[in-house]
Amino acid sequence: MTVDQMSTVADRPRAAATAGRTRSAERPRSTMTARRHRAFYMFVAPWIVGFLLLTIVPMAYALWLSFTTFDGISPNWHYVGLGNYRELMNDSVTWDSLGRAGLFALVSVPLSIIAGLGLAVLVNRPLRARGLFRTLLYLPAVVPPVGAGIAFKNLFDQNAGATNGVLTFFGFDAVGWLADPYARYVLIMTVLWGAGNIMIISLAGLQDVPRELHEAARIDGASSWRTFRSITVPLLSPVLLFQTVTGVIASVQTIMPMLLAPIATTGGLTTVPQSNYTYMIHVFSQYFALGRYGYASALLWVLFVLILIATGLIFRFTSGVVFYNVDPEAKK
Amino acid sequence: MTATSLNPEPPVRVRIRTHRLVLYTVLVVVTGLFLGPFGWLVLTALKTPAELASAPVHWVPAHIQWHNFADAFDLIDFLGYARNSLIIAFLYAGLVTLSSAWVGYGFARLSAPGKKTLFGILIGSMMLPQMITLLPTYLIFAKLGMVDTYWPWVLWGLSSAPYLVFLFRQFFAGLPRELEEAAIVDGCGYGTIFWRIFLPQSWPVLSASFVIAFTWTWGDYIAPQLLLSTDKSTLAVAVMTTYVSSAGTPITNLQAAASVMYVVPILLIFLVAQRGFVAGMSTTGLK
Repeated sequence: MTVDQMSTVADRPRAAATAGRTRSAERPRSTMTARRHRAFYMFVAPWIVGFLLLTIVPMAYALWLSFTTFDGISPNWHYVGLGNYRELMNDSVTWDSLGRAGLFALVSVPLSIIAGLGLAVLVNRPLRARGLFRTLLYLPAVVPPVGAGIAFKNLFDQNAGATNGVLTFFGFDAVGWLADPYARYVLIMTVLWGAGNIMIISLAGLQDVPRELHEAARIDGASSWRTFRSITVPLLSPVLLFQTVTGVIASVQTIMPMLLAPIATTGGLTTVPQSNYTYMIHVFSQYFALGRYGYASALLWVLFVLILIATGLIFRFTSGVVFYNVDPEAKK
Repeated sequence: MTATSLNPEPPVRVRIRTHRLVLYTVLVVVTGLFLGPFGWLVLTALKTPAELASAPVHWVPAHIQWHNFADAFDLIDFLGYARNSLIIAFLYAGLVTLSSAWVGYGFARLSAPGKKTLFGILIGSMMLPQMITLLPTYLIFAKLGMVDTYWPWVLWGLSSAPYLVFLFRQFFAGLPRELEEAAIVDGCGYGTIFWRIFLPQSWPVLSASFVIAFTWTWGDYIAPQLLLSTDKSTLAVAVMTTYVSSAGTPITNLQAAASVMYVVPILLIFLVAQRGFVAGMSTTGLK
């Protein structure tokens, strides 16, 4: 009874009832256990049903569409097997947009993590008005994408933008930031603007780093850079890993290029400059500008599989590096 | 609080002072850069179209054009769009908070065979790329005739959000076991226990969850853009797409004014609810 109840209130997934425990508890109190089991499924039902209907079914539907020529209009759409996938393999626009998305993730994710971590270290010091700095640095991360897009469009406007104002003030030529080939830098800067997000999460991690470790290192004569590299970063590595994975997933599906385009509608996708024409934008233009649902679904599934592979690879390559400081005696 | 600051030697103190000066300078500059884009948006909102069109940049408006805000308000049905945004955000945030608390209670306080697997799927589904599922979902909603209605948000709300489920699970798992023990002995159903005992305990998480879900919906651009026609759409879509002259050129200053009015409520909500927001982020951020 007590064992069973303890697992009921388990506060860690690891401590959840093992099969053996449940079985042994079933004998004396089978009605109560059965009642608890039924209650569990009753409670998680909304999520299970929602997950099936709003995630699994759409994904399966997309998989089915990806084998067809469905476009939503013509009545005689038909099954083409792997035709869409074959077309996709031979489509240079797809490959180019995929390369752009990959490069964008490869640059923007590490940069924003470094920026966020740097800010966290900065505002973790004993400072006056520390709370104010934290709030102000985090604030941009709360600004919705539409607000960010419009703000950056104005900031980098060719004529009226502050950036070109500064450039011309120092005698440089004005730059067409929102057009090729510079638009990609503006896109990266919109990501960096939200680095406050990573700052807050890293800050929570920094405050969990045991103080004794820092003191011991200092007594041993370690420089602050050395302490940071050998103590802070390893202890933060699970947080950084999590940020890397979610960052990569977020960056490949960003619609920011659309919001930075001169005319931002799904119909006006053609105004997205070439250098910001990422894979997701390609999917959108196939989906909505051209209505090629079948082909676009194949694109989606390829992206989905690539994300799974990328996530797997990130976990694989970091498994030896990421350090989980799990204290079995921890009271939490 | 650093060990060196306890050191009484004067040269060290001087070094610390310059060190601090550098630190504050860096912080002030970085904070300025972070606030820059928003500051520039406000400045843009206060300029005339002529000032925005001419090549050497006008750093500040010659005459502050406060009326731009009123004009942005009148040019489109700003209030109507804001109302649509509010309806969707309240609908979704209210439903998803309740459903996530419900599911979170199940994962925190009850167990059954398969719980571990289900929890693993829940955590894994947080990493599913939402944009990928949204597009086929849109096609299905279109087929079911739910385009141009708020039903999609009701369904999304009822089906709970993994991130918020996790938030509630962490909170409920931390409450003492005695809470429901007496009720179980008295023969109360788990539904009653959840509703009468656990939910009233969880105001901090409930409000954090509501605020988080509200800002998601208020900030969402792509779902309303796909699912709603122009007049039923949200402020996000309207701000992005409707400030265009009849000639097809964007009306920059009014759009900037509108986006200030669109963003400021979210900033205010954040400033008020900051603590719960940040606490929520740091619990779910890693653990």
